[in-house]
Amino acid sequence: MILAVVLGGQFLLAAAAPVLTWWLGRNAGYVLAVGYLTGAGLLLSQRPALLADQAVLISWPWLPSLGVYAELRMDALSLIFALLVLGVGAFVMAYCPRYLSPDSRHTRVYVTMTLFAGAMLGLVLADDLLLLFVFWELSSILSFVLIGQDGRLPARGPAIQALVVTTTGGVALLVAVVVLAASLGTSDLHLILADPGRLATGPAWAAGALVIFAAITKSAQVPFHFWLPGAMVALTPVSAYLHAATLVKAGIYLLMRFSALFGGQWPWDLTLIGLGLLTAIVGALLALRQHDLKALLAYSTVSQLGLLVSVIGVGTPASDAAAILYTIAHALFKATLFMLVGIIDRQAGSRDIRALTGLWRAMPITVTLTVLAAMSLAGLPPTIGFVGKEAIFEALVTVDEVPLLGWVAAGLAVLAATLTFAYAARLVHGVLSGPTRQRELHEPAWSFLAPAAVAAVLATALGPTVALLSPMVERAASDARPQGQAPYLAFWHGFTPALGLSVLTVLLGTLLFWYRRRTDPVLAAIPTTSPFTGHLERWRRALVRFGAVVARPAQVTAPAPYLARPLLAVVALAAVAVLLLGPLPSRHPDATRPGDWLVLGLLLVTLAGLVTTRSALAAVALTGAVGLILAVWFLTTGAPDVALTLMLVEVLTTVVVMLALRGRPGRLVAPGRRVGIIAGVGLAVLAGVVATAATAALTGRRDLSPVGDWYLREASSATGGQNLVNTILVDFRALDTLGEAVVLAVVAVGLIGLARPAEAVRHRPGAVRHAVDPVLALAYRVLAPVMLAASAVLFLRGHQELGGGFIAALLAGTAVGLGHLAHPAGAPLLGRLRGAPLLTVGLFLALVAGMAPLAVGRAFLTPVKLSLPGVGSVSSALLFDLGVYLMVLALVVAAVRRLDSAPAGPAPGPVRERVR
Amino acid sequence: MSGPLIVGVLVAAGVFLLLRPGQLRLVLGFVLLGHAVNVLLLAAGGLHRREPPVDGGGAESADPLPQAFILTAIVITFGITVYLLRLLRRASRRGSRRPETWDRGPR
Repeated sequence: MILAVVLGGQFLLAAAAPVLTWWLGRNAGYVLAVGYLTGAGLLLSQRPALLADQAVLISWPWLPSLGVYAELRMDALSLIFALLVLGVGAFVMAYCPRYLSPDSRHTRVYVTMTLFAGAMLGLVLADDLLLLFVFWELSSILSFVLIGQDGRLPARGPAIQALVVTTTGGVALLVAVVVLAASLGTSDLHLILADPGRLATGPAWAAGALVIFAAITKSAQVPFHFWLPGAMVALTPVSAYLHAATLVKAGIYLLMRFSALFGGQWPWDLTLIGLGLLTAIVGALLALRQHDLKALLAYSTVSQLGLLVSVIGVGTPASDAAAILYTIAHALFKATLFMLVGIIDRQAGSRDIRALTGLWRAMPITVTLTVLAAMSLAGLPPTIGFVGKEAIFEALVTVDEVPLLGWVAAGLAVLAATLTFAYAARLVHGVLSGPTRQRELHEPAWSFLAPAAVAAVLATALGPTVALLSPMVERAASDARPQGQAPYLAFWHGFTPALGLSVLTVLLGTLLFWYRRRTDPVLAAIPTTSPFTGHLERWRRALVRFGAVVARPAQVTAPAPYLARPLLAVVALAAVAVLLLGPLPSRHPDATRPGDWLVLGLLLVTLAGLVTTRSALAAVALTGAVGLILAVWFLTTGAPDVALTLMLVEVLTTVVVMLALRGRPGRLVAPGRRVGIIAGVGLAVLAGVVATAATAALTGRRDLSPVGDWYLREASSATGGQNLVNTILVDFRALDTLGEAVVLAVVAVGLIGLARPAEAVRHRPGAVRHAVDPVLALAYRVLAPVMLAASAVLFLRGHQELGGGFIAALLAGTAVGLGHLAHPAGAPLLGRLRGAPLLTVGLFLALVAGMAPLAVGRAFLTPVKLSLPGVGSVSSALLFDLGVYLMVLALVVAAVRRLDSAPAGPAPGPVRERVR
Repeated sequence: MSGPLIVGVLVAAGVFLLLRPGQLRLVLGFVLLGHAVNVLLLAAGGLHRREPPVDGGGAESADPLPQAFILTAIVITFGITVYLLRLLRRASRRGSRRPETWDRGPR
């Protein structure tokens, strides 16, 4: 439970961050730091159980059908990484308030960093491969967001590069997850790791290689190391947190976790040792030639991560303990160094080591802390860095896959450490030696310095007191790989070979530093960029270009070429269906009546006129005629409700189109080129044939459907309504009807929202208004009351006979349309109707009718009978139908009001401005 | 075969209008396609029973369920048509300085 609380708490903190920054501004970081520490404390409270080898577990079903459980599990290894995430996070959060500028709230920084901490926490606690993958990707994406934070152009390239590299690794991890889950039948990480022998050789090689690939992209190992220095365009706290202490450690965590599965097999071990040492040396060489402190630290991180990777490859209890200890050490001193560089950058205005000479006179405390952290980096006693590096040397010496390999590995590690010592010495020398260039410099506020100071002191003090860490580190080492007791960690081991190597490192490092003037030209000749950098960029550009090529056909502005493709797809689909369709039942013989042929003939004539006419008016009228012909046909097929609805809709559509056409040219656009017409005719005929064939094949081949039969027999007695179509609408399928009414409401809202400019035109001072049409006005005065009365009657009797909310509302809407035609400036009475209030009331009534049954314990929208004095019993369905009525009316009102064109005449400038 | 043929001619005419230049034709073509789908729904219920589905309508009563679907479909088609008209007018205003090009294809 505690795991879910801490992990959930982290995301809650992220959700609370906007409130905190709104309230406290940049100082919100302090509150967040307390939150991080609370989480860390809660996790640490589980320490006794973990030391007794009892993992803390929580699990709940996620995708039960796939056997995937969202499972969190914390053992000592997870705890150490989780504490790094939350502990370093707390330092960085406490550092942010003074680093970030006071003129902004920095909500985005705080939210993303806190989310990122949550993702990292999830990553190290996840006990299911899929969950692990999800958090892995989440951390990559959040890292991308944090690097490209404010969208500055220079930050975009590196951010994209980091994203491309780390998500490529993410894909590899996903494939590894699939391979493991498919070949072992479970995605439970703990189960998979518990029994390495179950994995067959083939999948093991594939999954092992993929896991290594994922880890080295995330942990910036050669040849993917280039993204990490690029990521230094991010804010310094981000660099300190993500690109030194946590994100890049995700790869280390992954390798340590999977050591139980793949460790001890020579391809895994030798790959890690080789790649790791190569990266350690390359990174250190590149760091040695940097003058920008942040770049120096970035390459240093690459190098140190390489050292860690190589130690994981050794695979003894001692080496695992060394890797864990050095992970802690590195997180501590590297985050400290980043924070201090940020402080120096803020105070002195530069990160260039050559511009910072003599800094110690102006900022003695900052410089002292920098020296302490640099000692840790260089591996000098008494720091934790010293203990960690000793442990690494000791572990590497024991490598015995190949004779003498141990000494080769240790020698290479000494080389990397020597280079590290040299660049650490340069850093220290840079701030200590020489004249003070900026005399007006002073120490930063103690609140700015405090987080870095605490971390620096901690990194130093943990050296002599490393025994405190020992039980947890030993436990974590055997959690990573259950293969026996790790040696007790101690500050002083006696005169061991490792101590000799340490001394050698210091001697060689000093020499290298001493002769820096001779080595500098050599170092400057090393290319900084990986050959991959250029290729990656080229591939990415090619991909973007390819995307543009693919998208080009879809980016035409005319509808015809765009619509032609889905239509062709429909035709192709039909061709496939013809091939695959089996024998069909015979058609019902009685489905065609003589009158149908008349309807078909009328339709053909009307449609022929419609597709050939050049007159807008004729086209609209003919479309209306098509609707009316169909309405008549619906009447003959036993669908009077449908027929009436269609008739009213046709009238309304015609009114609305005419309103929209008012003041517009009466001619349609010329039909275009002959080729286009022929292609159009061809496609239209094909589509028509397909539609006919499909309808013929798939309809009319059975008797009444069971559900239709049920309605015919039972609907009336179940609802008390005689008009079965209406009972379906308001009683049986009321939820559908509600959904459809809401669609109409959305359309109406869209109309109201889109149509502001038309309003502006209408009320423009001096705009020509349409005069009242006397004939229409008379018709309106005579007909409107009749229509409204008929509407009321249709509505009230809808449950029993022809009628209902839809039909009645359309009839009332026709009256509204007539009124608008007669009185463009606003008809008496009906012209006062507005869409928005009608819509609101209608939706409210429909919802009330739906909710009312809940009060008496019935389901949503169940019709209930209400007995009213003097009226008799009334169904709550009537109230629902009234809601539908009002919503449909609202749509008509909005359409009529908003679609009316502006009076003819050129639209003047100001209105055009507003349209834009 | 009358039902399928009605669907077919409506679809053919609708598709032809959709593929022609001009925004008004686009809207009208859309309306015709809407009709075609409504007829298809009705045909799915079976065209061999043609009495209105009222209580006690007997053995010739049509299936009421497709009718309920069509009824809402008609009203929604109307809503979409109206919205389409509005969108197209807005697009034409944006695309052109001269109102008389309203019925030209979008650029």
